[in-house]
Amino acid sequence: MSGDAGLARTIEALLFLSPDPLSVAELAEAAQAGEPDVEAALSVLAERYAPGARGIVLRELGGGHTFATDPATEDAARRLFSRPRTATLTPAQAETLAIVAYLQPVSRPEITRIRGVSADSAATTLLERGLVEEAGRSQFGAVMYRTSTLFLKLFGLRSLDQLPDVARWDPTPEEQAELRERLLRAGEARAGGGPTPE
Amino acid sequence: MRAGGVAILSDRYGERVSIATLDLDLDVFSGPFDLLLTLILREEVDLLELALADVVLSYLDHLESCGELDLETATEFIVLIAALLELKSKLMLASESEEDLLDMEPEQAAEELLTRMLDARRYRSAAGHLKELLAREHGTRFREAPPPAHLRRTELQPQEGGTAAEGGGQDPAILGEAIGRLLALPPAISLRHISAQRVTVAERLAHLRGLLRRGAFSFDEAVRGADRMTVAVTLFALLELYKRGEADWRQTESFGEVTIEAVAAQPVAAVAG
Repeated sequence: MSGDAGLARTIEALLFLSPDPLSVAELAEAAQAGEPDVEAALSVLAERYAPGARGIVLRELGGGHTFATDPATEDAARRLFSRPRTATLTPAQAETLAIVAYLQPVSRPEITRIRGVSADSAATTLLERGLVEEAGRSQFGAVMYRTSTLFLKLFGLRSLDQLPDVARWDPTPEEQAELRERLLRAGEARAGGGPTPE
Repeated sequence: MRAGGVAILSDRYGERVSIATLDLDLDVFSGPFDLLLTLILREEVDLLELALADVVLSYLDHLESCGELDLETATEFIVLIAALLELKSKLMLASESEEDLLDMEPEQAAEELLTRMLDARRYRSAAGHLKELLAREHGTRFREAPPPAHLRRTELQPQEGGTAAEGGGQDPAILGEAIGRLLALPPAISLRHISAQRVTVAERLAHLRGLLRRGAFSFDEAVRGADRMTVAVTLFALLELYKRGEADWRQTESFGEVTIEAVAAQPVAAVAG
């Protein structure tokens, strides 16, 4: 095989074989090529597998490169495999996943504290589905969780950096002030009305 | 939550009074059990300061002095004490977070609550965003199968004396024979001689009642020629008859014959004692 075209073919084969996204470093090591050469080969492939060109597209997901099907082929794929690609998330699972995604590594008690309700069954389901994985233990011995490569893959993310800043969903300062005011009034009502010691 | 617990307790309490007279002498209370319940319900005795274990111990003492176990009273006591335990555990759990907030100045408490609400709201919105991302990826599939075995990263060292080209020095035929022996299935064990016995308590009840109508009979008669399963189920049926006050039995010596006879008229009194 000669030069860039040969390397592009090798990279294509490696991507075809691997069920997980492959990083440039992994590809370079396997193909015994320099990383800049691999990058160049990847851009050749990206053009060849651009969306709309074939049934397969080259995607950059989960810290690596991987082949994925064109969504336009989904109907046929579903008839072939008779089940949807992924089950949808329940609200509890989505919330738990969001907390893990933003705060990782994070423990179940911490997730429960933020959600205000137990997250055990949601966390277990996410673990079973491979969207989160264990990431060691906290100083108090609780299992910590982080999101997996599969999570990035399924949610179309190159890396966690692509998640928007969580603060964007915070209420405006005015709304916060009003909320604070309401809570304060409720607190005073309780302190005044309830039975007071002494 | 507290109100619910009260309703349950007073309901139960209204039904019966047999346990009510149990006398208690505890650190925070001394008097009959029903008075204690009333005081707890009116919140005049603090459940948190009451050692429920002592109540149980008093009851056990009471049982000992009575010398017999009245199942109805015992059941009632267990229900009551379980309700108290549940109520108490809820009080104890609630106190953790509630008291944290109660100890604070209203301003501080409001801040704390606000932080919690914002946290929850933030990640609920983030969850919505994740769902959108997932929906946007709808229809995209990936290779899910693992790579073929010969491509997985395993380092097989060829054995001494052979070369990799010769399959690591092993004769494929020998390997094939070895694995072939392991793969051969042992002959299936026949289960044809085992037949499932299906005997219901209802059937045996009917059988026993039939015998009862003719007068007293022995247990051996009732199960003559029956298999073990039927004997066991017949025993269950007999216990059921006894529970319903339809039959009573006598056995004069250990392993001796059990005579079963119908109980006349006053079945409930006979059982409850």
